[in-house]
Amino acid sequence: MTSDTPTRARVLVVDDAATVRLYHSSLLTDAGFEVSEAANGLEAVEAALGAEFDLFVVDVNMPKMNGYACVESLRSETVGTAAPVVMISTEDRPGDAERAYRAGANLYLVKPVAGDRLVRVAGMLTAVEVAA
Amino acid sequence: MNPLLAQFLAEANDLLAQVDEGLLQLERVPGDPELVNEVFRAAHTFKGSSGLFDFPELTRLTHAAEDLLDAVRGGRLALDSQMTDDLLAAFDLIRGWLAHVTAHERLPASAGGDAAGLITRLRSPLGGGDTAPAAATAGVPAPVISAAPDWLAWFDAEWLTEIAAWLGTTSSTMRFVHYTPDTDCFFRAEDPLHLVRQVPALERLGLVQPPAWPDPEDYDEYTCLISFVVATRAALGELDYLFRYVPDQIEIVELDAGAITRHLSGEPPLTAEEPVTVAITPMIDTELAADARAVLRAAHSALTMEGVVNEGPRLRSVRHAVTAAARALGVPVDLAESGPDELLATVARLAGEAAPAPAMAAPMSDMSDVAVPPPPPMVVPADAPGRADDPGGQVGTRVLKVDQEKVDRLMELVGELNVAKNGLTFLADAAEEEFGSRVLSRRIKDQYAGMHRIAEELQAAVMDVRMLPLSVAFGRFPRLVRDLSRRLGKTIDLVTEGEDTMADKDVIEALGDPLVHLVRNSLDHGIETAEERLAAGKHGAAKLTLAAVADGDAVIVEVADDGRGVDPERVKRKAYEKGLISEEELETLTDTEAVDLVFRPGFSTADQVSDLSGRGVGMDAVRASVEKLGGTVTMRSKLGQGTSTRLRLPLSMAVTQVMVVSVAGQRFGIPVDLVVETVRVPAGEMSRVLHQEVVMMRGEVVPVVDLARALDMPWTLAEGADRPILVVSVNNQRVGLLVEQFHREVDVILKPMEGLLAYADEFSGTALLGDGLVLLVLNMKEVLGLAARVA
Amino acid sequence: MPLELHEETANLVGVVTVDEVEQLAGWLRTAKRPKVSLRRCNHLHTGALQALLLFKPKISSAPNDAFLAAQVLPLLTGSNGPAHKQGSDPP
Repeated sequence: MTSDTPTRARVLVVDDAATVRLYHSSLLTDAGFEVSEAANGLEAVEAALGAEFDLFVVDVNMPKMNGYACVESLRSETVGTAAPVVMISTEDRPGDAERAYRAGANLYLVKPVAGDRLVRVAGMLTAVEVAA
Repeated sequence: MNPLLAQFLAEANDLLAQVDEGLLQLERVPGDPELVNEVFRAAHTFKGSSGLFDFPELTRLTHAAEDLLDAVRGGRLALDSQMTDDLLAAFDLIRGWLAHVTAHERLPASAGGDAAGLITRLRSPLGGGDTAPAAATAGVPAPVISAAPDWLAWFDAEWLTEIAAWLGTTSSTMRFVHYTPDTDCFFRAEDPLHLVRQVPALERLGLVQPPAWPDPEDYDEYTCLISFVVATRAALGELDYLFRYVPDQIEIVELDAGAITRHLSGEPPLTAEEPVTVAITPMIDTELAADARAVLRAAHSALTMEGVVNEGPRLRSVRHAVTAAARALGVPVDLAESGPDELLATVARLAGEAAPAPAMAAPMSDMSDVAVPPPPPMVVPADAPGRADDPGGQVGTRVLKVDQEKVDRLMELVGELNVAKNGLTFLADAAEEEFGSRVLSRRIKDQYAGMHRIAEELQAAVMDVRMLPLSVAFGRFPRLVRDLSRRLGKTIDLVTEGEDTMADKDVIEALGDPLVHLVRNSLDHGIETAEERLAAGKHGAAKLTLAAVADGDAVIVEVADDGRGVDPERVKRKAYEKGLISEEELETLTDTEAVDLVFRPGFSTADQVSDLSGRGVGMDAVRASVEKLGGTVTMRSKLGQGTSTRLRLPLSMAVTQVMVVSVAGQRFGIPVDLVVETVRVPAGEMSRVLHQEVVMMRGEVVPVVDLARALDMPWTLAEGADRPILVVSVNNQRVGLLVEQFHREVDVILKPMEGLLAYADEFSGTALLGDGLVLLVLNMKEVLGLAARVA
Repeated sequence: MPLELHEETANLVGVVTVDEVEQLAGWLRTAKRPKVSLRRCNHLHTGALQALLLFKPKISSAPNDAFLAAQVLPLLTGSNGPAHKQGSDPP
């Protein structure tokens, strides 16, 4: 049985900093998203293997598996998700955005991202169905 | 407190500890890449999180520290002890700030000034030049995007258009400075242009000319008429620092592509002399369009990279992103089967259609049907999301961080439960005696037994939560020993053992000061310099051991060094000179007793007070504070071989059994451990020896102290009445306390004295009773001292 | 000497400090068709820049100094700035 209410978009927030994670996830939760969290790239990949997400918000600098490697893995045939990925970095170094896009991200933002911008971008990117 | 801030503070504590520990280890194993990386990561995470709050100084300082660590990590710099000192100092300062934040939710007012020097020092090994740090620092402090100020018009529009496009592509921001020098600044030896040329990563300089130049004849060349506008990639902190002497002449804004575009499309250029504050209301539609264009640019980048987007998930994700962006721009597209080339063409077409024209107002028209989530309220919900059944939920150990205060509150409640539970026994007695129901009495007692068991388990569980490893108390010593040994020029190896031993948090906390004192004492007086040690045939590096071991319901903590030891003869002579011992004792005291003299008030072995061990606080203070916790201190020493000081403390001091008595209508608690017996002595059996009231008990003369008098309370017992006397044993001496009335024994949670009473030594703490009354618990040693002085 | 003043031409050399400003302004005031060479100038005091802006001498040669060349020279020659660079009255 499905309910009448539309399914809420599912977002995976990946960041090793607990504070940032809480910030991003509470912003998105307040905006009506269904949010899960992962503390590093590896956890994110594991999560993506176990469930479908409509959007990934991924930090760049993380232990175990960094953001670029994480996004590469999400786009690999093993995980194979076509859901949009927003990478958020603390750094604004030349070439970082390019590296993010090369890895498979769809947008690269520099931290800290204003709350309304994150929600706006998330809303925009999840407004259309993810192609199977 | 905002839960996000609370989370940050909790996380910050851990990160700071990691940084400290890592830095100290790094000094021992210089260049260990794993360690450097760990420290860097902690600092990096810390900086990232700090950016969420309005603590610009904090972000700036951590950023400087992070840059230095990054250079070390990248092998561009070798970490030396000066850098370590600066880094430690930076994180110490931060720790202080966070304490202030915890209390006031903002940084101390002095933060900017305190940080400035450190930032310079941290940056100096990096070459701290005009441009070096700029590239790495752009856009780091919380970029509060300002509305474009009117003085932006002093930059040429063409350049602004270019820079807006570039900022948009890179989703970055730039700092813009309006510098209006005082007209008489030349007289103060200021040269504004010289300051401007020092702006790091200067992108563009613009000039604000006066609204009217004076006639050449009237021109005063010493009046500054011009001002400057500057665009730079330098961080706000660097700009604040550069312009620190002229802060009132400076206006800095941080702008992104959107703000500049709005400026270009909106207001007409204004002259500098007519400052008009233009409030630009954020237009969600336009911002959404800017975001959509950013997504299109990203897609364009990816699509034009060789072999990045060809098929599979990558192609599908770009298709998805472009579709979403197109929809947001109000030009929906169907890209169902598009390949990379078609996608690229679509992106180019969309970019053309939806490009922001600088001269035009925001071109978004059909935006009303686009689903835009409302901007979220900035209040973070009290309970953070987290579902156990969520496959993508957080993995890893689930450690719950709880405020100490909450645990304390739990402990208080356990205490209250104990008291309330004890009330049941009285009820049982009353049921039998007053209402004659033995059955009811039995049932109440059964009920009591059940509750008693649960209360005990609950108490044990809460006590367990309060248990902390000794490593918490030992944690500060590597740093302390390192700093002090460097200052003293001594070489010391610190060895810690038994850090895993657990003790109640109050014990751990209370242990802090005595331990610091003992360690400092050891470093200052016990341990010799390397030369002295070598001359004495010892190893040049001294060994200082901090060890903890559990011993039944007590924990033993030992501070031991292999230094010069205590000279019993010298101690005795000194004690005699100070009048602490008699001539007879000087002859008869054993070496062990002599060493114990260092704990006497007024004794100090150091010939002169050094700045390390502090002034006026001696070993007597250590003994007093340990005894206040119900512990003991002993010292053993061998001349020439070293000293060890042993603290024995109760594992837990949370629950104390006290006997409640009352005097002058006021109730007091006396630790049950000290109580020998309670007696009622007929008035006639009291006698006097000299001025001291005494009572004969089983052939022993026991002095009797009037508790009311000792505490200076107005109360006298009726002449012929029996004397209620509580006999206690203090320092192996029996003393009778004359009280008004005995009450029951209760289990209480002893809390240290606070506020005005904190200095009242005659009380060891307060406890809340079941009926809500606050019970003062007596420190018998002090009370007897008071009584002796009163008599 | 930071100022080499001739009848119609001046060379600004090295660092022009506040002490040279009065002399420079005096020269600019009296010279009929002043021409200023910044080639060897490493820095000029704000007061000197202001005098150059007011009297608008012809800049005969560009400075070698990178900052002056990239950021300050355009201000003097009018190739870098808002359209209303004369700034006398609101447009």
